[in-house]
Amino acid sequence: METAAPFKEAIDELRENGAEAFKFCYQCGKCDTVCPWNRVRNFSMRKLIRETTFGLIEIEREELWRCTTCGRCPQECPRDVKQIDNIIALRRFAAGYGVFPGPVKPIRTVSGNLTADGNPFGEERAKRADWAKDLSVKTFEEGMEILYFPGCYLSYDARLKKVAAATVKILNKAGVNFGILGAKENCCGESIRKTGNESLFKRLARENIKTWIDHGVQKILVSSPHCYHTFKNEYPKEFKVNFEVVHISQYLYELMNEGRLRINKDYAKKVTYHDPCYLGRHNGIYDEPRALLNKIPGLQLDELPESREKSFCCGGGGGRIWIETPKSERFANLRLEQALAIGAEELVTACPYCITNFEDSRVVLGHDDLIQVKDITEVLQEVV
Amino acid sequence: MANGQFPEALIQQLSQKFRDHHFGDVMVVGGGVSGIQASLDLASSGFKVYLVDKAPSIGGHMAQLDKTFPTNECSM
Amino acid sequence: MEGEAGDFQITLIKKPKYIDEDQCTGCTACVEYCPVKYPDPFNQEISQNKAIHIYFAQAIPLVTYIDDSCLYLKEKKCGICEGICKNHAIDFNQRAEKIEVKVGAVILAPGLEPYDPGLRHDYGYGQFANVVTSLDYERLMCATGPYQGEILRASDRKHPHKIAWIQCVGSRQVIPGGNSYCSGVCCTYAQKQVILTKEHDAEAECTIFHNDIRSYNKDFERFYQRTESLPGVRFIRSYVSIGREIPASKNVTIRYSTPDDGVKEEEFGLVVLSVGLNPPADYTALADKFGIELNAHGFCQTNPVDPMEATRPGIFVSGAFRGPTDIPESVFSASAAGSECGELLNYRRGKLTQARIYPPEKDVAQEEPRIGVFVCHCGANIGRIVDVPATVEYALSLPHVAYAQEQLFSCATNSAKEISDMTREKGLNRVVIAACSPRTLEPLFRDTLREAGINQYYLDMANIREHNSWVHSKEREESTRKAQDLIRMSVARARHLEPLQEFDLPVNKAGLVVGGGLAGMTAALSLANQGHEVYLVEKESDLGGMARRLHSTLEGLDVQQYLIDVVGKIYRHPLVHVYTEAAILETGGYVGNFATKVKSRGRVMEIKHGATLLATGAEEYRPTEYLYGEDERVVTNLELEEQIAGRDERLVGARSLVMIQCVGCRNAERNYCSRVCCSHSIKNALNLKALNPQMDIYILFRDMRTYGYYEDYYREAAGKEVRFIRYEPTDPPEVEPAVGEEGLGVLRVTVTDPILGKRLEIDADVVALAAAVIPSAGSQEAARLFKVNSNPDGFFKEAHVKLRPVDFVADGIYLCGMAHYPKFITETLSQAYAAAGRALTLLSHDTVVASGSVCEVNERKCIGCGACISACSYGAIEFRETRQGKKAVVNPVICKGDGLCNAKCPTGAISLKHHTDEEILSQIDAAVQP
Ligand SMILES: Cc1cc2nc3c(=O)[nH]c(=O)nc-3n(C[C@H](O)[C@H](O)[C@H](O)COP(=O)(O)OP(=O)(O)OC[C@H]3O[C@@H](n4cnc5c(N)ncnc54)[C@H](O)[C@@H]3O)c2cc1C
Ligand code: SF4
Ligand code: SF4
Ligand code: SF4
Ligand code: SF4
Repeated sequence: METAAPFKEAIDELRENGAEAFKFCYQCGKCDTVCPWNRVRNFSMRKLIRETTFGLIEIEREELWRCTTCGRCPQECPRDVKQIDNIIALRRFAAGYGVFPGPVKPIRTVSGNLTADGNPFGEERAKRADWAKDLSVKTFEEGMEILYFPGCYLSYDARLKKVAAATVKILNKAGVNFGILGAKENCCGESIRKTGNESLFKRLARENIKTWIDHGVQKILVSSPHCYHTFKNEYPKEFKVNFEVVHISQYLYELMNEGRLRINKDYAKKVTYHDPCYLGRHNGIYDEPRALLNKIPGLQLDELPESREKSFCCGGGGGRIWIETPKSERFANLRLEQALAIGAEELVTACPYCITNFEDSRVVLGHDDLIQVKDITEVLQEVV
Repeated sequence: MANGQFPEALIQQLSQKFRDHHFGDVMVVGGGVSGIQASLDLASSGFKVYLVDKAPSIGGHMAQLDKTFPTNECSM
Repeated sequence: MEGEAGDFQITLIKKPKYIDEDQCTGCTACVEYCPVKYPDPFNQEISQNKAIHIYFAQAIPLVTYIDDSCLYLKEKKCGICEGICKNHAIDFNQRAEKIEVKVGAVILAPGLEPYDPGLRHDYGYGQFANVVTSLDYERLMCATGPYQGEILRASDRKHPHKIAWIQCVGSRQVIPGGNSYCSGVCCTYAQKQVILTKEHDAEAECTIFHNDIRSYNKDFERFYQRTESLPGVRFIRSYVSIGREIPASKNVTIRYSTPDDGVKEEEFGLVVLSVGLNPPADYTALADKFGIELNAHGFCQTNPVDPMEATRPGIFVSGAFRGPTDIPESVFSASAAGSECGELLNYRRGKLTQARIYPPEKDVAQEEPRIGVFVCHCGANIGRIVDVPATVEYALSLPHVAYAQEQLFSCATNSAKEISDMTREKGLNRVVIAACSPRTLEPLFRDTLREAGINQYYLDMANIREHNSWVHSKEREESTRKAQDLIRMSVARARHLEPLQEFDLPVNKAGLVVGGGLAGMTAALSLANQGHEVYLVEKESDLGGMARRLHSTLEGLDVQQYLIDVVGKIYRHPLVHVYTEAAILETGGYVGNFATKVKSRGRVMEIKHGATLLATGAEEYRPTEYLYGEDERVVTNLELEEQIAGRDERLVGARSLVMIQCVGCRNAERNYCSRVCCSHSIKNALNLKALNPQMDIYILFRDMRTYGYYEDYYREAAGKEVRFIRYEPTDPPEVEPAVGEEGLGVLRVTVTDPILGKRLEIDADVVALAAAVIPSAGSQEAARLFKVNSNPDGFFKEAHVKLRPVDFVADGIYLCGMAHYPKFITETLSQAYAAAGRALTLLSHDTVVASGSVCEVNERKCIGCGACISACSYGAIEFRETRQGKKAVVNPVICKGDGLCNAKCPTGAISLKHHTDEEILSQIDAAVQP
């Protein structure tokens, strides 16, 4: 067995990078039992925490990059070891030395793209509003009811542009006076922050905040729970700003209750709803999406075996959306199987990463005919 | 819990007195093992005790246990 | 509640039971007919009960009551029971009664509430049929439980084969809805459940998932080993989560972590949640009513040096309301609270109580035996297995049996009365009760005979429960036959029973306390404050014992200051006589009348005393491990504490310090846990961190046994970056001198970290050993002199862990403090009050009763060989010179009637009254000739 001495300098450096609560860990192993990774392969958060305790981190290993920040383990940890903060500290530490093991390499490209174009794909900034061209969407002006912030995936990704379109269609139906910022919009920075690139996050965030202030933005509507999370929790904490943020599922529920939006069609399908980690666990929004679906006549909503607080991660958080995952290790595959097992015809969710991963699994598993993957707005646009 | 640890006679005595006059030395609130033991000790060292419990019988949680560690005897 | 200590006025509301308790016979005809069925809370809602019912099978009083689910009470409908009851006991007109009571003091013993895992959906409780709490499981195992003692699954009423226990449910956690403290009892009760499960079904596979096994109490370590060594029992170190319920089998999967093979998922037929202890329900309302403060956890706030008193004078607490505790501690804390009340109210002792008056005893010795036989159902405990009516029939057929009947619970108030009534009515002169063990209930039934006006020794008990229905639960017919055999034997013996007289002995009001540590001093003060002369004997020149070496406690007590206060009180108290540098030369006598010779500072004197308290404490083990004694940088925990208190420069300046736990105990030689050392190390570590935050502190442990509130300090130490490393006893740490960085001499400690999967090498400036607490030499000496027992580890053995936790078997001798087992100061103090309280139950009386069942020597047969004298463990026999030479005589007051001497006497000169050869032989004859 290998012998090693505690490495004090490394511990100190990790602490400077924000690792703190690891010291509380009493190695009960609870975190590992809830971690989605251990459904597809071995991965031990407990061990990473232990390595942090003694400064014995092997930064070349991919282990540092596995955590999807799904939030399951911090929720259950009896000692309140803030695992996500710790893992980010480890990544900052590794990124500080420029170490990115094989499958994690794309992170560098993504960082480059975000720096240059404000989106992870390396698409031109100028084309950010192209999705809205034929949809008669206005540019945001001061005094408008709400700013719609679709985020990178809805702006550029072919599949997710449909979600943006659906959103716009519904907002128009409800007569919402909204606008977008188009090319002036930047990536929210949430996911790149989770890969340990704090400075890039701050830069993206600052630019967004400046643009919003310049345009007199008060209230922001987002489609991605990741945008929601960072605007709602991280921006205020880091920059002491206080914009009102709503997620589309909350907003539509509000519109419905105010009578601005009406359902007038049946939707005779068996659907199930997947709670995105960043909407559910990280922000406690479980009821509004379900309430919306339950208002639709004919729709049968069945719960997945792991739902709400215990929702099973799609695998896309924490920057993993950009990291190559072998087919046998994709959480989304398991989730899709769960949906099929309860006989759902459609798997509905409310997050662009989830949709990306599930669509991918549909193809990989050859389930194209058996099940559809939809954003909640895509269902609603059919019935309003 | 009607047993040798808590002789019935004493418990009877306690509850009988309860009905008669309402003047005593100590009131014990809670009729679990601890409350009963305290009552009995006090009663046998010359004090008049009221034992009160919110449940219809004394016994507390110990009465719900099957046997108790470390000797694994019946808890009744 | 109003008023103050000594004079409280309390208003009580007595809830109506809607039953006239004097009329109800507990026949339960009404229960049969009541139409309302709902889940029975006493059986954890696993089985059904009715709106009118008896609370539980052995309830006191054993009468029915009507609860809120009654249709008549709710809607004025039904009223069926009123018509059914022949005794007209049902009275719907009862109203809540307001009762005003005046008392001098209050003891709060409202206990605890089990943690409810349903609230946070922990582990699928309430969601999956085969996930139950440990309390549910107690009911499942119990003969009076929902399935009459069969462990069945709710889903299919089948016996589960694989059962898992999940530890620390609701405890040791800082997530919302949980408790940060350790509940302290669940590790051991889970082990008990495993043992009992294996007794129910030897094939059962049992797994306990845990993160530390906290066997910190007396004999718990052995209990743990006993559980662990059962076949098919696994202890797995991991907290777990529930995977899923398998639709077809309704089995539940559990996911757990292993250091080497990652997370595993395993299927179990039943999952038991070892739920922790919460404060009693409505604790805030209770605190408001009594005007007392609660601690942060919702338990009663107490003072570490006055552990029985709540924050309002005159109000005392006992049991689990002081914080999570087990039964032995709940019992002795009760005696302690009793003693503290006694101190407060001593002036009015005996003013309000009345003596029991029994009818005059009838002389029936010359009468032909007329035996009455009472066969108890013990609810279902016996009745479910043994055919009780047939057994009653059988009893009636036996010679001299004049009367026989069955009873639901012979021990219940009404049944006991029935026995004495029938005895009188039918002119019975012997009584046989076929029920449970005489160990617990014989005193009650003897009392019943006295009530009936016959000699109390005309009683025999046939144990048809422990010896029969419990062990032969599968063989109904055979066990009915065995019950009949046992009764036949009892009846045979009963024919030969003789009336015996008990006698009253005078009680000397003084107490002797041996050992002047905190336990001895506290007990001495408590006795003295209740008006008793106390002789306190200490072998050292100073009082204080172990506490002289302690400086602080985790709760923040300044031990030295406290000690000065207590010693001051001792010396100032006019009734306390202190002998230091004292040795006990010899001691003799018996309960109420002891005489002890003490030599102190060259003088020898004889002390006469009615009660003896042994508080001879414990010592710290002198390690032979880890270079102790060879390298001065290796110290024990107590030495470390002294160095911390003295701000030792080398220590405070140390860069790195390693503590090693469990040194000298939890091993083959000392098979117990020293209980205090885990928390002691944490205390030292916190104190060191306060002096030098830069110091790297490592604690190398096997299980962290920071039970109860100490768990909070464990977390606090982790927060201060004290690093905890677990080691296995098979792979202990190694310590060797080495040269560290910068060429400085260090102690190099190497230890395997199981999670890292690496050997860690730590260079320490100081190594502190959590050395075992071992029985003191003085305790062994005292055990010999006072002829009291010790357990295999050398700690004093109490008469009964739960029933008499601070008494010795020998009457009139009590124990407290670390001589009983290692314990913290607060625990020591409450036990000291308890011992005083128990001693008071003796000393407050003018006389004490000695048993009639003692040995007697037939002088003619005695050849003076002395075999009996060496057999007697109480020193009850001595020689007396007679004209026929030396003859043994028994002092009936000391004799405990255990009969050891009988078996040794070569000529059969000694016989034990109440167990004469004739009685026993007739019983044996009856056994072999039906
Ligand atoms: C290593 C260690 C760490 C501890 N840490 C803590 C802590 O942090 N916090 C805490 O609350 N508690 C702690 N304790 C526990 C605390 O010391 C005890 O609870 C308390 O001091 C016990 O008091 P005692 O009177 O029972 O025993 P002792 O203090 O041992 O007193 C027994 C006395 O009896 C005398 N004696 C023995 N035999 C005879 C005889 N035959 N005749 C006459 N006299 C005799 C002895 O000389 C001694 O004075 C610790 C104990 C140990 C060993
Ligand atoms: S759940 Fe928390 S305490 Fe337990 S091993 Fe994981 S990080 Fe440590
Ligand atoms: S946050 Fe989620 S993915 Fe990350 S370690 Fe915890 S459970 Fe696993
Ligand atoms: S460690 Fe404490 S809380 Fe956990 S099961 Fe054991 S006694 Fe209970
Ligand atoms: S260090 Fe002491 S208290 Fe802790 S487990 Fe070992 S013997 Fe028990």
